[in-house]
Formats: sequence, structure tokens, C-alpha cells
Amino acid sequence: MTHSLHRQGSRESLQRDFIMLSCSAKGYNNTYYSEPAKKMMKIILDNNPVNWGDMKTGNFLYIDPQEVLDKISNNTIVEACFDNKENVLNALRDLIKADLGISVVISGLDDVVDEIAREAGLPGVHTREWSLGVHGNTKKLPDRKILEFTTMCGHGMVSRDLVPKLIADIKKGRRTVREASVEMGKCCSCGNFNITRSCELIEEYLPLWVIDDPA
Amino acid sequence: MFIDEKKCIGCAKCIPYCPLQAHYFTRTEDGRLVVAIDQEKCAECGVCFRMADCYYNAIYQVEQEYPRDIRALLSDPLIEFAGSNVPGRGTAEIKTNEITGRVKWGRAGLALEMGRPGIGVKWSDVDKMTTSLAKKGVEFVDENPVTFFMKDKKTGELPDELKEVRSISAIIEFDCDFDELPVILETIKETAKELDTVFSFPAGVKLLPGGKVPEEFVRIVEDAGFTLSINSKNNMGLGRPRFREEGE
Repeated sequence: MTHSLHRQGSRESLQRDFIMLSCSAKGYNNTYYSEPAKKMMKIILDNNPVNWGDMKTGNFLYIDPQEVLDKISNNTIVEACFDNKENVLNALRDLIKADLGISVVISGLDDVVDEIAREAGLPGVHTREWSLGVHGNTKKLPDRKILEFTTMCGHGMVSRDLVPKLIADIKKGRRTVREASVEMGKCCSCGNFNITRSCELIEEYLPLWVIDDPA
Repeated sequence: MFIDEKKCIGCAKCIPYCPLQAHYFTRTEDGRLVVAIDQEKCAECGVCFRMADCYYNAIYQVEQEYPRDIRALLSDPLIEFAGSNVPGRGTAEIKTNEITGRVKWGRAGLALEMGRPGIGVKWSDVDKMTTSLAKKGVEFVDENPVTFFMKDKKTGELPDELKEVRSISAIIEFDCDFDELPVILETIKETAKELDTVFSFPAGVKLLPGGKVPEEFVRIVEDAGFTLSINSKNNMGLGRPRFREEGE
């Protein structure tokens, strides 16, 4: 639940961060969901997602893409991440046209998702879920910059320690910015991790990050 | 999750992959430096096993018995909870709301994802929150793993053996009428002060015709001192058969 919600960052950064997903409805379509879900994923793939996967199998960054598609089952959640509004809008328009009858969820900035719904010809969003923040013993949380990366995996699979380790690797010439982003993306098995946004954040934070063992 | 000390060379490649910082250096009886996994901290999420790409295949999983097996159920997103038939840690909640009608007009779908983001949760903290909420008459959502394991849904109490369990997160789910929200939000704020961990707090509503946000919901949430995020998760209403209530 809610694993595409709670992404942290500035409005400017979140403007290029969208998740599109679908979940089977138990007792309604979970006896035949796999076929429309496969069609949905093919439509999504025609609209240039930056990451995608199936919650029971994993994402295409570490599993053969055909295997991910073939294994979409009746009780699963299929997911994809986009880095711009136009591609999400085009994917939604194609899904409306295909009339698959399965639920489609889009996570993103409220006002931008409202625009997408309107421009796709929908009467509006049906149900909306917000984050009311992080509470409790918040002193335990890592730095905000780390959270901007780690909260792109709602299941918490991207470790707070992996971010500085990969940034140190970049500074030492062992990885490119994209390779570091893909490495984080592999850990987020569902395919929610936004590779483009991660690259942008790394580029922004590289000059601010000091490493004490440059060897 | 375990590391075979005979195979491990102590390269430390796996250490930064662990979301709960459970990997640590230790020495074998013959003095070799190796990495081991703190079994109390390990949530059995499988990230090190899948992603650290150990050259010597030193990381291995063993089949776990109750209550240890609950860790993987609530930590490894590739595992499905049989009670909900939904992979992950919760239910379908608003993702299929246009079909199921779970959250109706005038009601809110709430959840507390204990341990998120990235801190993890000991289930004694989950128990503190569920028992506090139950005292206010909260009815927990069936098909959710935390509800499933409660000794009694009316009290929200978890079995003693589960209070020692740690997982990456655990989701407490419930729905309520808008007029019940002020008391519930106050209870959440008060109980939050007693927790060792953090929690992320999602709240969902069915929008009014034309995609209008119910003003009453926003007012109650803001009066209680909470702020709605600028980003959200949105059911676009494409699923069928469509659940319809009066006025729709």
C-alpha cells in the first residue's frame, strides 16, 4: 500500500516524477486480470517509461523484460515510472482508448494529475490519497537529500547507506551517474525508482558531497 | 538472511545494501575478518541476497518458521500475503476504489505505515498504535496482515511473540467517517510521542463529482495540525464494473 506516495523533494523536482500502476480487484477481475494488465504494460512501454516492473517478479533493470511481461499474473500490481507529463498523458489516452476495464492509478503532483485527467477527457480524479507526513521519532531519519533518493522506493529497499556509497563511487571514477542511479533502481524491485530524477539529484548534490577517503 | 563465514572474504560489498544496517564486521575463530548479519536487526527483506551480487555466493536464505517468517512477509515486496492476494504489505486500498467502493463519500481511508521511511519497526511499536486506536473505536481493515495477526480486532492487541518481530514496515489500515477524524488524528499525534520509530501517514478520500476535493476533509486535517502533501496517488476511475453510490 501507498508505495508510490510519500516521495520527498521540491515541487520543481517532483514535476518530473510520475508513477502509473494497476492493481487487480479481488472478487471482481482477479480471475482474468493478467491479460488486460499485459496489454496495459505494452501500452505503457510504447510511451517511454524510465522504469517499470511487476511487483511479484521484479523490474526490467535486473530481470529480462520479456520475462517480466510473461509473468504478469492475476493477483499482482504492474507499475511504471515516467519523467514527464506528456508521456503519462499519452499513456493514459491510449489506456482510455483501449478500454481495458482495470483500475489505473497515477501518482504525481496534485495539480498536474488534475491537468492530465482533464486533458485526457476524464471528468476528474475518482479517489485521491495524500501523504500527511512522517511522524514519530523523526530524529532517526537520515538527511533530507538521502530521503529524496530512498523515498523513490516506497518499500524501503534503497538503503540510506547505498546513496553516499554510490556517490563516492562516482567521485572515484568507478561509476557514472546513470550507473549509480540504475544500481539504486535495481533494489526497488517494483520499478518505481525514477532513474532520470535520481540522475538529476546526483548532479545537483555531487558538488555538496564531501568524501573523506578519495583513494 | 545469513552469511557463510567459510565463503565470505570480508570485502564488505553487501554492507551498504542493507536497508536496516544489519551487516557488520566480525572475526572468525581463526581470526579472519568477515561480514555477518545481526539476526535481531535483519528484516529478511532479501535486498542483500538479490542485489549485492556477492562474488562468492556467501549470502544465503533459509526457510523461516513462525514468528520469524513474519519478517519476510512484511519486508520483502516480492512476497504476497495470502489473506489479501496483494503483493506487498497492505491491501488494494484506493487503488481499486472505483470498483470496490471501499472508501465512500464522507469517509476517509487511513493508514499508518510504521517504520517507513527506511527506519524499520519493532512490532511492539505497532502494538502501541493499534491498541491506542482500538480504544477510540477504530475498526481495522480485514485482509491486512497486521489486522490478521491481532489477538482481538476490538483491542488491537498483537500476540506477545510478534512484539519482538522487526520488519521494514507494517501497515495499520482503517477507514472512518469524517466526523470521527478529529479524535483519531489526536490519538495518532499523542501515540506518536511514545514511539521508537517513525511512520508515514497516508489518507485517501473519494473526490466529489468533477474531481473536487471535499473541503470538510481538508479543514479537519489542517485543524488537527497535519498538512496534505503536494503530490498524491490518484485512482483515475477507469475500472469496471463501476461501484456507484447514491448521487453518482
